[in-house]
Amino acid sequence: MPRAMIIDTDTASDDAVAILMALQHPDIDVKAITVVNGNMPVAQGSINARYTVEVCGKDVPVYDGVDAAITRDLYRAYFFHGPDGMGNMNYPAPKAPPAPGHAVEALIRVIRENPGIILVTLGPLTNVALAVLQAPDIVPLVSRCVMMGGAANCVGNITPAAEYNIWVDPEAARTVFRSGLPVEMVGWETCRGEANLTEEDMRYCKEVINTPLAHFSIDCNASALSANINWLGDPGLALPDPVAMAIAIDPTICTRASKHYVEVECDGTYTRGMTVVDELGVTKYDTANVEMWQPLVKKGEPHITVCWTIDAKRWKALLYDLIK
Amino acid sequence: MAQKIIIDTDPGVDDAMAIFFALRSPELDVIGLTTIFGNVHTHLATVNALRLLDIAGRPDIPVAHGADDPLAVPFGGPVPFVHGDDGQGNVNLPPSPRKAVNQSAAQFIVEQVMAHPGEITLVPVGPLTNIALALRLEPRIAQHTKQVVLMGGNAIVPGNATPCAEANIHNDPEAADVVFGAPWDVVMVGLDVTHNVYMEADDVAEYARIGNPMTEHVAAILPHYRKYFGDNYGIDGIYVHDSSAIAYLLDPTLFETIRRPVRVDCTHDIGRGKTWPALGERVDAPWQNRPDVTICTKVDSQRLVQLELNRMRGV
Repeated sequence: MPRAMIIDTDTASDDAVAILMALQHPDIDVKAITVVNGNMPVAQGSINARYTVEVCGKDVPVYDGVDAAITRDLYRAYFFHGPDGMGNMNYPAPKAPPAPGHAVEALIRVIRENPGIILVTLGPLTNVALAVLQAPDIVPLVSRCVMMGGAANCVGNITPAAEYNIWVDPEAARTVFRSGLPVEMVGWETCRGEANLTEEDMRYCKEVINTPLAHFSIDCNASALSANINWLGDPGLALPDPVAMAIAIDPTICTRASKHYVEVECDGTYTRGMTVVDELGVTKYDTANVEMWQPLVKKGEPHITVCWTIDAKRWKALLYDLIK
Repeated sequence: MAQKIIIDTDPGVDDAMAIFFALRSPELDVIGLTTIFGNVHTHLATVNALRLLDIAGRPDIPVAHGADDPLAVPFGGPVPFVHGDDGQGNVNLPPSPRKAVNQSAAQFIVEQVMAHPGEITLVPVGPLTNIALALRLEPRIAQHTKQVVLMGGNAIVPGNATPCAEANIHNDPEAADVVFGAPWDVVMVGLDVTHNVYMEADDVAEYARIGNPMTEHVAAILPHYRKYFGDNYGIDGIYVHDSSAIAYLLDPTLFETIRRPVRVDCTHDIGRGKTWPALGERVDAPWQNRPDVTICTKVDSQRLVQLELNRMRGV
């Protein structure tokens, strides 16, 4: 039986490719897509998600969610993904409207109906935080919570310290990390560099694979490609959400992972939204500044899985398989 | 027509007094109680809300269970030294035969407000987590809620949870900053007034003399609460916190108010949870584009206490 999955997303171009991968995989049954504020306002993210579902010829409900961070001011990523979030490709409007009901209620309901479900988060964690705050009973029903977010080695993309998804709503991220959800954190730093699609890779997608899905995957990321090069000085196309989705589909694509206490900085002047990973396990000793870690330490062993390295070849191979 | 209200509550001795005060006031139509952590954990708040409605003979009023934790940090824990281990002065009431509705507090608030646009006043007398969650689930409740009359905060007086902060706000400053910042009509009934509403020993004794199920319950739960005020403030009586919000609904002329935008200190340091109105002439950037909050600054204590006692007497 295929594995049940629910995807929470602020759908812009790399989210679209991640959604496509899940929808195309024969062993994954996407029960719902929930849209959250982030890269785009929810209305635009919802359009992008529904269009992606239709490009795949599927019929998965897309629920609109919270169009704000819990407390922070809005900060959209138009500069990265283009005004429509989809590389300004002027795709036609999706035929289906959003599914009736709120994304947070959908998250709660779908998780309760599918114990053991995989939750994949591709955007800020506002919807998920509101779900666990209102319905903590869903936490043990989630078998894996694969999260594109954070930066375990402090390689920020929106600030030097922070990755965008966490930075947009650090309070929500903190609530999710502390909720007990079995988070597998796929940080920004594991999704760049060697993980990027090179010019050659992109040519392979468009000219050799040469399917509508292959063209869609590369074309909608046109803005993201130039932003990655010009904004972040990283050659090639970074696809963080699809990397996280690849690990959600096939955990062995993550080649080194370990469990740690992780906290989200909500108070820092320079470090808002930083994911602070206790990589060496120093908080279990009675050393400096450890008292603020005690609530976590007292709860038991570390439960956040940090993904440190991936098999870039295998992640790309999985992507190619799914856009064929 | 009576004013429809939803009381968001963490009962709590003074919450019990406020709920009964509202139920005994024909001007008010309590259409639901929503529960929150604070004086007690949320599960106990729900149990107590149901029990209090049983005592009041109002099992028709729904109770919706709220969030167990604040928006951004885990709940710091209840205050049994104020309200008792059971939140009701250690009288250990029997459980209610009823249950909470199958809907979260935030969902209940959204549904009710959207079903009765412009008609409902929210009366939060605990931390503001449920109200902030409701705003994030459905931002349009800001336009469709008649008013928010909350017990919490301290504009120019010291706090009671810390030297800086009042307990309800301190329990979830992020939520409070969301609520004070939303485009709706908020009235802050905080320590500036409630630490000046003094129910003396003789007033407190009145509860035992009135002799109905609600006043008998209050009389039973008050000794534990009173001891806290004796030990901590050296007074022979109690300050009236949550009931002051109900009193504002019944008679706003009991209060003097100012209108200023309010921010809440959400840092994780010594100032956490302090409510900061922009008091001066100048409104600095963090307070700009925020609505004016009606802040209660002075109160006619005697008249307020008599109003509450009269309502409990049935006059």
